[in-house]
Amino acid sequence: MIRVIAKRLLVGVLVMWGAASLIFLIVRVAPGDPTTILLGPDANREQVTELTAKLGLDRPVFTQYLSYLADVARLQFGDSYRFDRPAMSEVFERLPATVDLMLASSLIAVALGLVLGLLAGGRPGGAVDRMVTAGTIALQSFPTFWVGIMLILIFALAFRLLPSAGAGSPAHLILPAITLALPFTAIVARLTRTSVAETMREPYIQTARSKGLTEQQVLLGHALRNSLIPVVTIVGLHMAGLMGGAVVVENVFAWPGLGTLVVEAVSNRDYAVVQAATFLIAGIVMLFNLVADLLYSQLDPRIKLDGAA
Amino acid sequence: MTRPLASGRPRHAALTLIAAAAIALSGCSAATGGGTGGGAAGGSEITVAGTYAIDSLDPGSPTGGSATGTQLASQAIFSRLVRPRPDGSLEGDLATAWKPDASATQWTFTLRQGVKFSDGKPLTADDVVASFKRLLELKSTNAANFAGYTMTATSPAEVVLKAAKPDAAVPYKLAIFYVLPRSLTGEDPAFFQHPVGSGPFKVEKFDPSGTLVLVPNPDHYGGAPRLGRVTIRKMPELAARMTALRTGEVDLIWGIPDDQLAELQRDSKLTVGTVPSTAVFTMWFNSSAPALKEAKVRRALWQAVDFATIIKRLYPQSGTLADAPVSPVTLGYVPQEPVRYDPAAAKAALKAAGFDFSAKLRLQFANAEFRPFNQAIVSDLQKIGVQVDLLEKEQAVFTKDLLALNWDINFQQLSNPTFDAANTLGRLYPCAAKRNGYCNPELDKLLAAAGASANPDERVKLYGEASKIIWQDAVGMFPMAVKYAYAWNRRVTGVTPDPNGLPNFAGMQVSGS
Repeated sequence: MIRVIAKRLLVGVLVMWGAASLIFLIVRVAPGDPTTILLGPDANREQVTELTAKLGLDRPVFTQYLSYLADVARLQFGDSYRFDRPAMSEVFERLPATVDLMLASSLIAVALGLVLGLLAGGRPGGAVDRMVTAGTIALQSFPTFWVGIMLILIFALAFRLLPSAGAGSPAHLILPAITLALPFTAIVARLTRTSVAETMREPYIQTARSKGLTEQQVLLGHALRNSLIPVVTIVGLHMAGLMGGAVVVENVFAWPGLGTLVVEAVSNRDYAVVQAATFLIAGIVMLFNLVADLLYSQLDPRIKLDGAA
Repeated sequence: MTRPLASGRPRHAALTLIAAAAIALSGCSAATGGGTGGGAAGGSEITVAGTYAIDSLDPGSPTGGSATGTQLASQAIFSRLVRPRPDGSLEGDLATAWKPDASATQWTFTLRQGVKFSDGKPLTADDVVASFKRLLELKSTNAANFAGYTMTATSPAEVVLKAAKPDAAVPYKLAIFYVLPRSLTGEDPAFFQHPVGSGPFKVEKFDPSGTLVLVPNPDHYGGAPRLGRVTIRKMPELAARMTALRTGEVDLIWGIPDDQLAELQRDSKLTVGTVPSTAVFTMWFNSSAPALKEAKVRRALWQAVDFATIIKRLYPQSGTLADAPVSPVTLGYVPQEPVRYDPAAAKAALKAAGFDFSAKLRLQFANAEFRPFNQAIVSDLQKIGVQVDLLEKEQAVFTKDLLALNWDINFQQLSNPTFDAANTLGRLYPCAAKRNGYCNPELDKLLAAAGASANPDERVKLYGEASKIIWQDAVGMFPMAVKYAYAWNRRVTGVTPDPNGLPNFAGMQVSGS
């Protein structure tokens, strides 16, 4: 196991180098430059020249890249052009809000998705299955932005049950977490439904039934455990997707997380923040994938990870 | 394929995963930014939602000092020598009087006595001078207004500003100059986390990601504001801002599009107000482009667009047909002869000028809010056979292309924080500015004379003559004078909508508190 983890981490270093290099290239290829955004259209040429030099953007791109790689190796990403403080500090300040949002939405999605998937997969083709299937298709079809606005209108404006936007209390987390969770819930539910339906046809389920267990005991005690395997995988893999959704959700609900920071940094061509945030997100996604792989092998002992003894 | 019955180990793993998530969630760490936390502010506290971020509280910052968010915060935390009234005239803040010499190269400001900073230390002429020096040293965008200027303290109660050349707009330019303690030098991010100022409010908490919390400054020379706390929250989404206002989570919002005003006006708990702003929809023609070199072509294009109808349909409450390149609340405003909508005459004029109808003009703009307006213009131009590529650009790209003149028609909502035409006409239209490809030495002379005259009446007259040239030569189309819309909870009184989108919280209070 340790060898597997070591090997994956080694590959991870290469992946992170690739991600860091790619984002360096992308932000510089994007049209528009940081100085005109920072200084605005009223700045004169002297001010633009001075700021360009101050930001180190007057150097050849390859020189900038080498300097950037040296900084990345020390986990230094320079100062945010906009906030004039270390970019990674800015990212770490926003990270907890996004982690809260992602954990809450994952929890909702997994819990709700499992229940719906079990209900549907327990009796494939039944009324509940048809309802769940139709519902999950709808959940995946609605744009996250629209769902967020609808939830605000219903729960904040019409019923005055929850705050419409902002952060600061657990109540503020509920609507954004649900908004982010809904499409993920649909994925978990459909996957669980398929997995449970398949498992329910396995001979060992017949064996369990023949032992006199009730359908509920069979479902929860036997089918669910094995149906969890693909769900664990998808939760790990879907973290990157959740991060993408968080960008939209954070904007709709004025949630002060990493998503809004990245969007603003891209708009403002704040290279340092974009690079720091992307690097961190890539690292988190890689880590989640690794954890999912390891959990997968633990849940299904037949699966041997590449390199495992 | 068969699968074994699950062992206890995977079950344990799954439960551990869920438990870990639950624990992490229960520790739901105070995502910052909520300010007062649970929603509507009570007592004498108000929460307001702005459309823009407050990234920095340093008004002298070379990169963000002139940003709207920073200006909003600065006017609450710091004092200025002079400040604009909502009608565009100036009133003294730290200065009780100011006067130019005969040539308008030397301005003398008499300072208010007994003013203290929020840390209790007295504010002196040395603080004013040091703040001015810092502004110049940091080379912020605002500093460019004072290139070659010097300020000296001639007595504890007087400062003198010497300009490099006659400058009648000095007091207006100083409307965005803030006085800080003289001990502050260079950029000092730590100071601006908890700044010391002499404005009506002090900073209780500042989170650049979204929230600024202000509390009254008991040492303010005008007395402490009646509001107990002002929380400024960033809410970029309009729908979220409007909902938060209607649910009472927020007490004041602004920057409301016209099509949303009716909904707020129907709410009996809210007050909606508009104010003529300094902003004018400005659509420059690139006069250096071969197709747009001739004034008669540019005028014909202007004549081809039915702006009165477009404004009536899209901006019935927040727009009026403009009659000058600057807004009526700006010093230097002189109304001009309206450009009459006449598509037939426009087409005939274009044909007579040999306009190439097969060529496409590039119309650039930067904000989705203005898309319908620009689409309507494109539609009107197409009716007379003029082809236009409508280019909605990201702000970074827009600004770069704007400065590079990489466009044929450029749409901007131009506002003027100084309320003086020197900041728009005087800055953007001389040949040397190279902002729109237009160059007219006669206009340059008028603008220079208007900027140098110490006589306000003469300045208005000269800017009027300059406006006439700009208008008749159709350096751009100037379709709409903008009104800014504000909406607030009725429990808040003393709200005066501000023409620059920078509400002053000092005069507000909560009824019954």
